[in-house]
Amino acid sequence: MISIPLTYFLAAGAALFGLGLYGALRRTNIITVLMCIELMLNAVNINFITFSRYITSTGSQVTGQVFSVFIMAVGAAEVAVGLAIILAWVRRRQQVNINEINNLRG
Amino acid sequence: MPHNAWAIPGLALLAYALIVFFGRRFGERAAFIPIIALGGSFVLAVINLLAVIGGATAEVRFDWLHLGERTITMGYRVGPVEAVVLFMVTLVSLMVLLFSKGYMHGDAKFNRFFANVTLFITGMLLLVIADNFLLFLVAWEVMGLCSYLLIGHWFEDLDNAKAAMKAFLTTRLGDVGLMLGVWMLFLATGSFRFDEITKEISKGQMDVAFLTLAALALFSGAVGKSAQVPLHIWLPDAMAGPTPVSALIHAATMVAAGVFLVARSFPIFQAAPDAMLTVAVIGAITALMAALIATVQTDIKKSLAYSTVSQLGFMMLALGVGGFAAGIFHLLTHAFFKALLFLGSGSVIHAAHTQEMHKMGGLFRKLPVTGATFIIGTLALAGIPPLAGFFSKDEILLEAFHFERAPILFWMAVFAAFLTAYYMTRSVILTFFGKPRDHHVYDHAHESPPIMALPLLILAVPAVFAGLAGAPFAGSWLQHFIDPHVHLPEPSGFVQNVAIGVSVAGIVVAFLIYQVGILNRQAAIRVLKPVYVLFKQKFYFDHVAMGIVAVTVAISRFVATVDKWVVDGLVNGLGWFVFQMGQGARRFAAGSAQAYAMVMALAIAVGLFVYQAMGG
Amino acid sequence: MNWQLIAFAFLTGATLYSAFRVATDRNITHAALYLAITFLGVAGYFLLLGAEFLAAVQVLVYEGAVMTVMVFAIMLSEMREVRGEKVSVGKLLRSRYWGPLPLLIGLGFFGAVMMVLRDPNLSNRQPASANASLTELAGALLTTYIIPFEVVSVLLLAAMVGAIIIAKRGGEES
Repeated sequence: MISIPLTYFLAAGAALFGLGLYGALRRTNIITVLMCIELMLNAVNINFITFSRYITSTGSQVTGQVFSVFIMAVGAAEVAVGLAIILAWVRRRQQVNINEINNLRG
Repeated sequence: MPHNAWAIPGLALLAYALIVFFGRRFGERAAFIPIIALGGSFVLAVINLLAVIGGATAEVRFDWLHLGERTITMGYRVGPVEAVVLFMVTLVSLMVLLFSKGYMHGDAKFNRFFANVTLFITGMLLLVIADNFLLFLVAWEVMGLCSYLLIGHWFEDLDNAKAAMKAFLTTRLGDVGLMLGVWMLFLATGSFRFDEITKEISKGQMDVAFLTLAALALFSGAVGKSAQVPLHIWLPDAMAGPTPVSALIHAATMVAAGVFLVARSFPIFQAAPDAMLTVAVIGAITALMAALIATVQTDIKKSLAYSTVSQLGFMMLALGVGGFAAGIFHLLTHAFFKALLFLGSGSVIHAAHTQEMHKMGGLFRKLPVTGATFIIGTLALAGIPPLAGFFSKDEILLEAFHFERAPILFWMAVFAAFLTAYYMTRSVILTFFGKPRDHHVYDHAHESPPIMALPLLILAVPAVFAGLAGAPFAGSWLQHFIDPHVHLPEPSGFVQNVAIGVSVAGIVVAFLIYQVGILNRQAAIRVLKPVYVLFKQKFYFDHVAMGIVAVTVAISRFVATVDKWVVDGLVNGLGWFVFQMGQGARRFAAGSAQAYAMVMALAIAVGLFVYQAMGG
Repeated sequence: MNWQLIAFAFLTGATLYSAFRVATDRNITHAALYLAITFLGVAGYFLLLGAEFLAAVQVLVYEGAVMTVMVFAIMLSEMREVRGEKVSVGKLLRSRYWGPLPLLIGLGFFGAVMMVLRDPNLSNRQPASANASLTELAGALLTTYIIPFEVVSVLLLAAMVGAIIIAKRGGEES
């Protein structure tokens, strides 16, 4: 049995998400930004797993875990493509400052 | 074969195209292109006239535009009126072209002059045969444009350019009314064609007030083009153009277009008696006022110009009192002798190098041909029988005499006729007789070359005989030809005697004053100072017009200022505001993914809080 | 005070601290290492919640694959000059472009969730006796969620091919 209240996990997840969000918005190094996005994904995963544990109907329990798996897969794919793009960019421009990547500037 | 009438303006147009594109190669010989073309046109016009006399008429038209259910046609029509006017226009044009060949010799813009004149003739011929108001308007505007170009032919002199501008703008003022009138008629009848409009009106179902308004709108166009009071101010200034142009445009043809317009839309005017009365009154006032001004002009051309205005007034008077045939009759005869007079004055100017009559004098000995033809023109204009002007003017006076609504018009016309004889005699005496007042001018004067003298001689013929076509003893043939249903006014011995009397009186008075010197002119001017000044200042019409223009300009300036600072300010302010908003919004589209994420996250965070605040 | 709570407190401390360092450390290599610790902490959460399989996957995928690629990328991009910034309260509030906005947004999200968590229905909720078993998970993945599962497979394949092509093309052009 687990004796920690549901809200603790959710609070921890929220804190992790908040930190990731802060970093993603704040950091200028694009690799760090990617890391922070991973933090946010992990925070979401914590929430999913927590709810899957605290849900009483057994049929729905597995759903949270399934979605965590998907999120991990998507996160992995994102990292792979994202880092490839970053590498290509870095080779071309010799810098990783996200503020300099503004080809879409209006 | 009247159905070939299209070739009459067609030839002129062809000549215009040729002279524009190839004129440069021929130098001054290029003048023969329009002369030959107009010769062809003249022959065609004669053939047409004979065919029409033989009873034929031509109507050719084709569908031009389909506007919904309405079909607008284009076409031409040659009936009696068109045939005689075509004959007159082609003849006068041809003479003027011949004369110009000599007069414009050595001019730097020789070819341009001939091109413009040719285009002008095209416009006039087209106007005459047009069977609908649209084509009529097109031709009308072509003439207006050419008039502008030709008055401003020597545009290097700013005064000439201004005169051209004045002519264009003044006639333009009337044109607005004309277009309005044409549009009103189209709304009412659904057609631009003269015959259809006439048919529609003859049903008698149209509102008389509406018709009166439409007729007056049309008449305003005629007032502008035919230099009637109060839009007559441009014509004397138009004398800035080369003299042959004055002869052609501002004496014989274009100014007649206004009269022709009224004649064309005569059924409309007939259906609106008040409009008719307006035409008559304006005509009479113009005839009298212009004649008065003409008596004090010292410029030979300006004197003729006011004479033209006056005679156009006569024509309008004739039309206004219902004398359709009389108006057209006078239009024709006047065209011949006024063209003759203008070309004669051109010949004088060519010889004397001045337009000031007071510097001339005694030129008859030096310019016998010009002098003789000029005198013929004068007598014709003055209305001495049996010359052309007598019969047509007599006809007009007779019409006015029988016009019961305003008997005073007749006496105004009589007085104007007296003045006509007076000022024309004055011009002749000042120019050709007496002692030479300026020996420099006199000594250098010489008779014009044959190419200029020939047109004078040719034009003198119809100036003498054209009136016989409508003479009462000839059964008033022309009137019956023009208008088969004409109701000729009761011939009146009284009117005839008055007409001859005032003509002779005018000549005699002028002769006494200027040749015999019966009274001291300086003293007379001193005594009649206010009247003299009034005439000299042309009844202050120009001043009034300039005042109106000044007021308009002032209002325009004010409106422009309001527009610039208030309206534009509003619009620009709005634009500035949006621009600044865009500048602000640009920060959000900095191309930075992080910024987009920031905005997105912010929105979500705010949304979350709102969701919470609303109670989850 | 049972062992679970102690473990939770320890995990939370480690995870959040390392996450904080990831988000703020000026040295990118350090940030990467702290990220690894964070991933481990999250795996610990999973264990605590009875999702052993996911904890294992977390370690495999994130520690094994993602972290490796990240470190690879850091080294390949040859960032000798590390552009992170020093952490200070003033720096947290000031930023070149957005001022304190990122901090406020981060705190805002946290705060919003915390407001939700005041709901007694949530805090009183009792957990199920055990989490879904691996068999159930596998069954669900291959039956109910077979289509998303296949889509994710395609996504991974596409990502792999895409990553190779992007990196390769970038290399050629430089």
